[in-house]
Amino acid sequence: MSTERSKPYREKSQLAQFREQLVETGFATVLKYAALAVFLVWTLFPVYWLVTASLKTRESLLAFPPHWIPTQLAFANYIDLFVSRPTFVQFIFNSVIITLVTTVIATLVGAFASYGFVTFEFPYNLDFHLPFYILSTRFMPPIVTIIPLFIIYRNLELVNSIHALILTYVMFNIPFAVWMMKGFFEEIPDSIVESAMIDGHTHAGAFLKIVLPLVKPGLIASAIFTMIITWNELLFAIILTHDERAMTIPVGLASFITKYSVQWVHMSVAATIALVPVLVFSFVARDQLIRGFSMGAVEK
Amino acid sequence: MAADTSDQSKMQTDIEGVLQSNDSTSERVFLWVDEQLKWLLTLPAVAILFALTFYPLLRALQMSTQRFLPTGTTFVGAENFVKLLSNETFHTSLLVTGKFILLAVGIEFLLGFAIALLLNKKLKFRGLWQTLILIPMILSPTVIGLIWRLLYTPDGLLDFVAGGNVGWISEPSVALYSVILTDIWQWTPLVVLVLFAGLQSIPTHVKEAAIMDGASPFQRFRDITLPYLSSLIVLVLIIRIVDALRVFAKVYILTRGGPGDSTNVISMEMYRTAFRFSSFGEASAMAISLLVIVLALAMTFVKTANIEFSS
Repeated sequence: MSTERSKPYREKSQLAQFREQLVETGFATVLKYAALAVFLVWTLFPVYWLVTASLKTRESLLAFPPHWIPTQLAFANYIDLFVSRPTFVQFIFNSVIITLVTTVIATLVGAFASYGFVTFEFPYNLDFHLPFYILSTRFMPPIVTIIPLFIIYRNLELVNSIHALILTYVMFNIPFAVWMMKGFFEEIPDSIVESAMIDGHTHAGAFLKIVLPLVKPGLIASAIFTMIITWNELLFAIILTHDERAMTIPVGLASFITKYSVQWVHMSVAATIALVPVLVFSFVARDQLIRGFSMGAVEK
Repeated sequence: MAADTSDQSKMQTDIEGVLQSNDSTSERVFLWVDEQLKWLLTLPAVAILFALTFYPLLRALQMSTQRFLPTGTTFVGAENFVKLLSNETFHTSLLVTGKFILLAVGIEFLLGFAIALLLNKKLKFRGLWQTLILIPMILSPTVIGLIWRLLYTPDGLLDFVAGGNVGWISEPSVALYSVILTDIWQWTPLVVLVLFAGLQSIPTHVKEAAIMDGASPFQRFRDITLPYLSSLIVLVLIIRIVDALRVFAKVYILTRGGPGDSTNVISMEMYRTAFRFSSFGEASAMAISLLVIVLALAMTFVKTANIEFSS
């Protein structure tokens, strides 16, 4: 640091002194909590609005001025959704199956690859280039691949099947799994695998029986991340499905909006059902989620 | 009796033989697995990605030079790209996307940075704050679109707050800002959480030394905080820009690109061109153009983040 720059540090300005006094008083603390409270209300209120909307009667939901708190809780809305839209059960079923299968495959395939790249040396520097290529697919806008994929799936007669969606979602989540697991595998000392192999394990056996259990937290984290991404996806689902055999919840939700009207009550019930699983998972894996969203750049 | 015993012993040797041969085959399998382990572990991931990204990309490149007719496809060279030059809807969509990125990411960054700085002060229940502000990011863009559509509805809550009929998503001059507001709601938390993690990693002794030297809070921010955070700042900006470039679900739910073309972002335009007008060739040309932009951004990202993957 240059002397010119550090010089003003020694002459404390009056303003700075004033500010420091301010920090010592309770005023700054009040301001800090007030600002955070405002931000929190801004963040949480829309979610509150949806969940309460799902419990309002149609009249109450559309009332003007709006009802801030539901006057009576219309739990019957939840039954009514399934009565008037029996296909929604199928949407939930499809979403659950697609999410579970995708999560298991993407997490395992991604974790295996991650361990491979961390542990082994590859010719032509592939242990650097391949993960880099894998990461770069994260940047590809899905709309770029969806057009050719749609044509390919159509030729293979895979459109409107959950298989096509699973395959696509597995591909989308592998980069996350590879990069999220990287840090976990790097923390495991080589000596653990070596001593397991001296004890008579094969390398593959040592990996499956000793290394994988050790990185369980990482596996759970990337599984939860994959689950959330898959559960939420709309673009591929809307293009690759056209009836209840393969449609997922987001597509079902989008269909509540028609050209002429929006079925607010059913919509808010369905949307509330869709958001519950992700809320639960976010409380379980907060730190790992941040890591996932920032592509592993934020180390914990 | 004697035959029985001989049979029995023969059977025994047979079983042993089978067991032995089994043992050696399984051993051979184990050996082979270990020798090929690095390929067995990594090839599935690489193969899936190759089949579902690299190959479609080549197809997109090929499709961008074709015209799709009910009778089949014909090669038209660069015609689709030339068409884009005079396609005003496409130009509007580029402009709309640019405006969306600039405003949404800009505000998300400034607001998020400010809140990260607040969080970095001594704070009670920090974990709880963090978990609660994470919620918008993990919600489905579809659900987010529906929530905000409910808020934006005529004579809905936001009209009540604004004290009049704003036409949040029905007025062409307002609609894009409403979509931007929704994006800000969803993604400001990401900026907060990433920059907060960066702030936490600044060693306390550096901050203390600066305070001892009498550096004002602004000087400390300029000379310590900013340099420490610079790579994370670039990173979070690029992640947000790349993701904003492909915004689709929110727009689809909120406005379907309308009214008019006022919120017609580029993925919406590509979706319309390909799946409503079946102009797969032109849509592919758009896709390739978009990809070039993204690629440039991605390269910046990798250089900035300086990430390595080695043992």
